[in-house]
Amino acid sequence: MIFGKRLQFAWLSVFILTMAGTALAHHSFAVYDHTKSLTLKGTVTKWQWSNPHAYLDIDVRDANGAVQHYTLEGTSINMLQRMGWRSNMIKAGDQVTAIAAPLLTGQPGGLLLEITLANGEKKELPIPAAGSFKRPADKN
Amino acid sequence: MTKQWFVAAILFVVAFAPMNARAQGSPTNIPDITGSWERARDASIPAQPQPPLKAQYLKDWQARQQAAREASAKGKPIAERVVMCLPDGMPGMMSGPFPMEVLQSKGQVTIIQEAYTQVRRILLDRPQKAVDDVEPGFYGHSVGHWDGGTLVVDTVGVREDVGYQNVPHSKEMHIKERISLGANGLLRDEITIEDPAVLEKPWTFTFGYRRMSDYQLLEYVCEDNREYADANGVQQIRIPPPAR
Repeated sequence: MIFGKRLQFAWLSVFILTMAGTALAHHSFAVYDHTKSLTLKGTVTKWQWSNPHAYLDIDVRDANGAVQHYTLEGTSINMLQRMGWRSNMIKAGDQVTAIAAPLLTGQPGGLLLEITLANGEKKELPIPAAGSFKRPADKN
Repeated sequence: MTKQWFVAAILFVVAFAPMNARAQGSPTNIPDITGSWERARDASIPAQPQPPLKAQYLKDWQARQQAAREASAKGKPIAERVVMCLPDGMPGMMSGPFPMEVLQSKGQVTIIQEAYTQVRRILLDRPQKAVDDVEPGFYGHSVGHWDGGTLVVDTVGVREDVGYQNVPHSKEMHIKERISLGANGLLRDEITIEDPAVLEKPWTFTFGYRRMSDYQLLEYVCEDNREYADANGVQQIRIPPPAR
C-alpha cells in the first residue's frame, strides 16, 4: 500500500517535472506564498469546473463559530482530467480538507495543492513545481 | 501547326509533371502524422537559443524579462495575455504545454492546440499571399508543401502584439517551419523566424513531440477566470468579499 502510494507520488513528480518548464510559461503562481501552508477544513460552497483554472470556494468555521470564506485556485481542468479527476468528485455541501499555499496579500485565498474529499480520498493537484510549496509539518 | 502544338503540349507535360509531383510530395513519402501529440524533449533537440534581436530591441526585451522576473519574485507578477483568456497564437501555440492534434486532409494540414482550442490551417500547394493581403491575426496565413517527408510551411500575417516569449516582431515577419517525423517516432517542428527589421539573423528553434496513441483532445473554453490584470498590469485574483 505504502509502496503503491510512493509509486503514485513518483509518477506524479515525473509528470510535474516534465510539465514544469512549459506549464509555468502559461499562468504565474507567483502571487502565492511558497513558505506557508493553510490547512482548511470546511464546507464547499462552489466547485468551479472551468478553464483556465478550476476554483474551490469553501467556508471555514473557526473555534468561535465565525465563518471565513476562502477562494482556492486550482489548475486547468484538462490537466485534472488527464490525472483522473472528474467534475463530480466535489460538490457544494461537501466537507473537505484543503491544503493550500496562501495568497501573499493576506486575502482569504490560496493555491489548492491537495484535498481530502468527503469520502476520505486524498487527491493531489498537478501544480507545476508543486514541490516548491511548503506543506503542513505532519506531511513529507 | 496542330502537330507543333501537340508536340509542345507533350514536352510541357513531360517537363513540368515531375516537378509538380515533387512539389506536392509523392504520397508514399508523406508520413502519417495525423493524431495527438505532446511536447517531448530529446537529446537530438537543441536548446532554444536567445533571440538574435537587433541591439535596440534586445535591450528592451532583456529589460522586460528582468522586470518580469523581479515582479514575480516580489509576488506581483506582470499579467500575461493568458490571464485575459487570450491564446498564444503563432508560434507559441506550437510550444504546448497541452497536447495538440494534427489532421491531414486533402489540400490541408490542420493543427489544433488543446489549450485555448487554438486552430491553424496549413494550406498545401498554394502560393503565399502578400503580407498586406492578410488581415493580421493570432495564427496568420500558412501555406505549405511536402518536400519528401518534410512539411515545409511559411506563415505571414501574425499580429504584432502576438509575441512568443514577448519577443517583438514586425508585420513583415515570416515563420518558416520544417515538420518531420524521425525514425524514433519523434515529430519535430524546426521553426525559423525571419524578420530582418527586428532580428540580426533568422532565429531557429525546434520543438519535439511524442505521439499520444490513445488520446482525444479535450475541449477548452477560457471562461470566468478569477485572475485579472489590475490598473498597473499586475496579476491579481478576484476574492469575493466575506459573505457573512
